[in-house]
Amino acid sequence: MSEVATAKPGQAYVDAVRQSFGAAVQEESWQADNQVTLTVDLNSLPDIVEALYYHHDGWLSTIAANDERKLNGHYALYYILSMEGATKSYVVIRGLVPANRPEFPSVTPRVPATVWGEREARDMFGLQPVGLPDERRLVLPDDWPDDLYPLRKDTMDYRTRPPIAADTETYKFISTAGGGSAEVPLGPLHITSDEPGHFRLFVEGEEIVDADYRLFYIHRGMEKLAETRMGYNEVPFLVDRICGICGFTHSVAYVSSVETALKIQIPERVHFIRTILLEVERLHSHLLNIGLACHFVGFDTGFMQFFRVREKAMTMAELLTGARKTYAMNLVGGVRRDILKAERIRTLELIRELRKEVTALLDILVSTPNMLARTKNVGRLEPQVARDYSPVGPVIRASGHARDTRVDHPYCAYKGAPVRTHTREGCDVFSRVIIRGEEFHDSLAIIEYCLDQMPEGPILVEGFTYTPHRFALGYTEAPRGEDVHWTMLSDNQKLYRWRCRAPTYANWPPLRYMLRGNTVADAPLIVGSIDPCYSCTDRVTLVDVRKRTSKTLPYNEIERYCRDRTGSPLK
Amino acid sequence: MSQTAGTFAPHIVPPPGAIRESEQIAKLKQTLLRDIRRSAYVFRVDCGGCNGCEIEIFAAISPVFDAERFGIKVVSSPRHADILLYTGAMTRAMRLPAIRTYHAAPDPKIVISYGACGCTGGIFHDLYCVWGGTDPVIPVDVYIPGCPPTPIATIYGFALALGLLDQKLKARHHSEGPDEDVVPIHPNIPLQLRIDLEREARRMAGYRQGRIIIERFMHMLEAKEPTPFAERIKRYLEEEDDPRLAEIFARLNEIVLQR
Amino acid sequence: MLKLLQELFRAGDATVKYPFAPAPSNPNFRGKPEYNPKRCIACAACTIACPANALTMTTEPAAGKRTWMLDYGQCIFCARCEEVCPTGAIVLSKDVELAVRNRADLMVTADFTLRNCGSCKTPFAPDKEVGYVIALLIRSGLPADQAERRRELFETCPDCRRHAEVMRRVENARLMEVRP
Repeated sequence: MSEVATAKPGQAYVDAVRQSFGAAVQEESWQADNQVTLTVDLNSLPDIVEALYYHHDGWLSTIAANDERKLNGHYALYYILSMEGATKSYVVIRGLVPANRPEFPSVTPRVPATVWGEREARDMFGLQPVGLPDERRLVLPDDWPDDLYPLRKDTMDYRTRPPIAADTETYKFISTAGGGSAEVPLGPLHITSDEPGHFRLFVEGEEIVDADYRLFYIHRGMEKLAETRMGYNEVPFLVDRICGICGFTHSVAYVSSVETALKIQIPERVHFIRTILLEVERLHSHLLNIGLACHFVGFDTGFMQFFRVREKAMTMAELLTGARKTYAMNLVGGVRRDILKAERIRTLELIRELRKEVTALLDILVSTPNMLARTKNVGRLEPQVARDYSPVGPVIRASGHARDTRVDHPYCAYKGAPVRTHTREGCDVFSRVIIRGEEFHDSLAIIEYCLDQMPEGPILVEGFTYTPHRFALGYTEAPRGEDVHWTMLSDNQKLYRWRCRAPTYANWPPLRYMLRGNTVADAPLIVGSIDPCYSCTDRVTLVDVRKRTSKTLPYNEIERYCRDRTGSPLK
Repeated sequence: MSQTAGTFAPHIVPPPGAIRESEQIAKLKQTLLRDIRRSAYVFRVDCGGCNGCEIEIFAAISPVFDAERFGIKVVSSPRHADILLYTGAMTRAMRLPAIRTYHAAPDPKIVISYGACGCTGGIFHDLYCVWGGTDPVIPVDVYIPGCPPTPIATIYGFALALGLLDQKLKARHHSEGPDEDVVPIHPNIPLQLRIDLEREARRMAGYRQGRIIIERFMHMLEAKEPTPFAERIKRYLEEEDDPRLAEIFARLNEIVLQR
Repeated sequence: MLKLLQELFRAGDATVKYPFAPAPSNPNFRGKPEYNPKRCIACAACTIACPANALTMTTEPAAGKRTWMLDYGQCIFCARCEEVCPTGAIVLSKDVELAVRNRADLMVTADFTLRNCGSCKTPFAPDKEVGYVIALLIRSGLPADQAERRRELFETCPDCRRHAEVMRRVENARLMEVRP
């Protein structure tokens, strides 16, 4: 095996693509040793993506669309694949879409995991995925004007607010239940009277036969903001606020995408500090989720105890960053604060306390009969369905697939750290909770390792050259799973394009499969088990497919039913 | 006294449905404040936040901070609410649900705008899918800044809303006075040396600890004391017993010695 | 069940006593930015660095005035302003008691006078900023007479400076031509 071949883990995949599709490959460019972008003929793109996905252990990280008309006269689509075979690498398949004919052959019929990325490319850029059955909007609100594509460079200022058109929600919910009918006709419903829920649960009696959801109510327009008002060093503060639970993970993914694009040599100490903070974030997030799981099974004392203990992780964050949440620690080139003696000592103290208390609490949790009864075999995600949709995090690991970005594509200081991939075969809510508990303990060990092995040297690189139009991928394993950011730089100290795929985005599509076959009372527990990153849904609509009736309820009511198990809202 | 929707953020034209509060309602609120000092039912409305605020509200209610000591109880329907707690920026999609919730809660009620996004739209204030904070659409009685507000800030905000505490912040304005010339700090250290030292400290320990460390270093450098500088540093580092601090001081000292 | 009760007893009363006792505080905490207008030179570094536009400036040339504004309601408490300020005019404290009833109470503002250009007489930079730059020059070891000449330069707006430089070169070229 030659030196060059082992240095670039993606080479094997490039060779495989060239071997099967040689004529279609137009360009090959490497952003890093484990990141390569192949520009291919647009019509061959679906074949190539399918081949990499199903025949070469590829998983879909995300799809980024980009308006490159200024650069090369085309729109571009980047299908970002995490290749997890014998060698691990990111391979990006890029296709150019002509400006005068903005459509492309949809990959969704071959690889279901691409569905949301393609729908989003349609919403934000007006690129039509030909052959994609789902015609509905994904991201933009229903009353957003047709033919106004926010992320095209020439359509609108980032502050343009189109006037309100309709008071009516027009989103159609789709179910394949009830004898194969595609759509249950229920609307349009007038919003000011009774809003259709963010969730539709299609039921027969108490059993869920299908589910659909309308999300992105909190779509704010961040990707456009990052190209306009902000320079590259203000974006980390925006990125911290994508999600109030895993903001720092996004921050690391973003700055590392720019740092990789600019080939900045990041000092070792920075990697260790970032790793510590990433794990601190995992601590609080997992405790939050486990606490919520307790809440949903009616074990409220457990909920309160996990929250009490979680405060120690928040104190740790405040000590190391200056805030309990929104750590604001990253800049392109390094971090803003160091870890000195006082912080080190207190952090180690808190770790010891957390280890002791959480071990005791998890022990209690696992032996609580209610917990086992309510979560075993509930919300199953079958391994093959998981393989089709590329979910991430504890969700995918609970269905037997060993995917963890920290191990598959080591970044920051993870290469030498005591991190393991925790998988289970149970495929259920219980398995996801257990995995989070095991990862919690790993996190404590990783923080101790980093504090112990902390290298000397600087924590900030100043004075690098900002080169326009370079692009690269940044990636982390958030508490919820793989988080990827794709960034292209512009020529004015700003960004040309920033694409962020938060982990939960990958976990929503298979959720309907996890809900099928379970009861309505279990729905909040199952939804909670993917640890969703969403503005709390306020309504659920229950549609009985046999009786052809529907009922809209506050989500709180379903949660109450989940905990109390009496007084069914369906009655 | 609540702000009429849209008056404070003049760059945001209030969208359709924005609510204006009547005199009568304002009067009723005063009586509400007297009655709810003992207990207050709060309904949360997330209009488009990142959920950071949600979690801090959870934490404020959790046993460690225990907002329930003040009778603050989170309820699951706006119909039972005395206080509406709006979090998040007002996204385009959540405008109508936010308005509907306001109408569903019985009068009189108090509206609290929570977090930077609630107060003004925060970092998202001017985006295409955002109407700013809560007040372009809903009349607000109390603003709680923060990103997110800590549980302490949250409890303070609730105490203010319930009339238990007075607000501390007042608008401030300063007009430049006659002798306010600004002189550079550390006059006894040559400017270029100071710049180089500050840069190295920042490179090594970041902005915050870097500044603290360099201030200490320069203070020791400037001090007119009989013990030589090198000796004083050695003693200081022995006391602190922190290898990282010693490493940084060594680098700074190298710069001084090279002059 | 017994284990749970044991755990509860051991954990005890964890409640923080605030507001009946001072809140526990952390020296590294990023709280309310405290502004000292006397140390401000209205250079606008903070307004450029602020990711949320909580810090803004407006300039009114006719009134010879520049107004600095901070809106606590838009602040994200990131401390970038503190980091980029050359004079330490804005520093974050530990204060979190910021809730108000009146939106206007979240504003801090300060006015600064603009210096008029020595040539064209229009305002172009804050007085205090020009003063600070000259003080730095003197501090950097420049002899007093050179500093004074620089002062004249700094009290000229960029347009006039450019114009003056062009005229100077034209004059030099003319002089070169005339000499035999």
